[in-house]
Amino acid sequence: MSSENMIEVSGLCKTFKIQKRAQGFIGALKNVFYPEHELKKAVNDVSFSIKEGEMVGFIGPNGAGKSTTVKMLSGILCPDSGQITVAGYTPHKQRKEYVANIGVVFGQKSQLSWDLSPLDSYEVIKHIYRIPDKLYKENLERYTELLGLGGFISQPVRQLSLGQRMRADIAAALLHSPKIVFFDEPTIGIDVVGKDKIRSFIKTLNKTDNITMIFTTHDMQDIEQTCERLIIIDDGKKLYDGSLDNVRKGYVSTRIIEAEFERLPVLLNIPKTEVAEAGGDPHKRIVTFNTDEIATGEVMAALMDTHNIKDISIKEPGIDAVIRDIYLGKIVIG
Amino acid sequence: MSRYIQFAVIRFKSKTAYRFDYFLGILNTLLSFVVYYSIYKALYSGQSYIDGVSFSMVTTSFLISLGLGSAFHKNEMFLQDKIKQGTIANELLKPVNFKLRMLFEDAGEGAFNVVFNFLPTAVIAALFAHLSTPSGALDLILCIASVMLGYIVLWQISFIVQSLSFWLFSVWGLVTIKNVLINIFAGAYIPMWFMPERIRSILHFTPFDSIYFMPVQLYLGQLNEMQVALGFAKQLVWIAVLYVIGEVCWRCGIKRLVVQGG
Repeated sequence: MSSENMIEVSGLCKTFKIQKRAQGFIGALKNVFYPEHELKKAVNDVSFSIKEGEMVGFIGPNGAGKSTTVKMLSGILCPDSGQITVAGYTPHKQRKEYVANIGVVFGQKSQLSWDLSPLDSYEVIKHIYRIPDKLYKENLERYTELLGLGGFISQPVRQLSLGQRMRADIAAALLHSPKIVFFDEPTIGIDVVGKDKIRSFIKTLNKTDNITMIFTTHDMQDIEQTCERLIIIDDGKKLYDGSLDNVRKGYVSTRIIEAEFERLPVLLNIPKTEVAEAGGDPHKRIVTFNTDEIATGEVMAALMDTHNIKDISIKEPGIDAVIRDIYLGKIVIG
Repeated sequence: MSRYIQFAVIRFKSKTAYRFDYFLGILNTLLSFVVYYSIYKALYSGQSYIDGVSFSMVTTSFLISLGLGSAFHKNEMFLQDKIKQGTIANELLKPVNFKLRMLFEDAGEGAFNVVFNFLPTAVIAALFAHLSTPSGALDLILCIASVMLGYIVLWQISFIVQSLSFWLFSVWGLVTIKNVLINIFAGAYIPMWFMPERIRSILHFTPFDSIYFMPVQLYLGQLNEMQVALGFAKQLVWIAVLYVIGEVCWRCGIKRLVVQGG
């Protein structure tokens, strides 16, 4: 395996058949005798390649096709067409041999046994993956420390909190020291502290062990703190593939001023800015502009010259706002 | 193979966690035995042979069928539940053969059932019913070999029906019908001896009579060498045929798998 591309995907397509459900009693009868189907292209001609040791964030709105892509990459789903090569394997064709090389964490599906403790489940994993005793011990110690599993590793999984279970699940997926790890929404439903622990763990592992990682999430903070490269998918198609910085760049010079005025009417006409009403409050306005075109001071001066200002704040748009605009088709990048 | 045995061991272990289940299991098996025993006792009403079959042969046949019934464990909702809840994703991520893993887990539970459920029942039953002893050591060994092959036949039929969940999502109804048919055709309810000759000759070509009835006949030493050889050959042929069908179902199914949720 060359150190060049660990993952190579080209022209990937997957279509699902979705049953249309008619409503009501007649509809229910109709569903039984004449079910109607509709085809949905979950993944539509997606191509990308990922180098060894790279860490790539996969984002897109719900139903964009992220998870479907990850499931195809991990050999669970068969693609309708297109090529996937990961570490020299064709995942869905060589599933058994292939999955020994990867680790997958599904935020919404635990691989731990509900009635057993994480430690019991780890023992089973040790046998299934034939992990040598020494490696198993080392990994277990290391993950216990880094993920802080010590307090609950011997409790039945059903008694764990979501955050604890998630951390235990991450350790489970990594016990066999996989070369490639897929995280599918690993931070879903987890509190800030828990998220931080998971992020820093993932980052450490990527740096020290040179593990190739794909990370799907809805939380842009996850991406900002861990990934350098970003792939955005929407409606089954790849919208963007490039550095995270590139996405930010277009927006670093954008500023948003939120102002509350004392008296009505509020009449603003400042050139090179966009003015919008804020939350239905007639006293409030949101002014968006680019500092390359007009200085913040000028805008402030223009506001204060004409009106009495009760409150004012200046913001940079977060990555969330950028992504929202990309999803909504307001901006095109790449 | 060691990792598959691990699946059986885990299943066995986790079964021991439910002690109440275990006592009820014995009671359940014993009750079934008593019901059959009483019915046939009334039918025989003092006669020692009906159609050349003695009462103790019938009783023994029941006990063996019961024992096999509990040993031949199969978690018939396994695939359906995994597909419905989408947890099949986690199963497919394990570097093991899915079918073998399923088989070993079931075998682990079967072993538990035999040790903690059937054996106590058999001991209690032997106290009040007159049972036939195996006709010889070789017959007993052949019987056990035939039991194992019979289990693989039965298990594969179950797997084929289960694998229809890739298309149907719910196979509970099919599984129930399948089990009733197998129990009738395999002679678990009514020993084959009492079936009409014509039906018996048809059933002879199906995989069913090699599941329960062949082990019973071997145990009682009722088969000549030719019949033993033919019987084993038939079991092996059916195992091969069912394997191919099961493999086709699995491969087609996995291609159209939709992982539910998330």
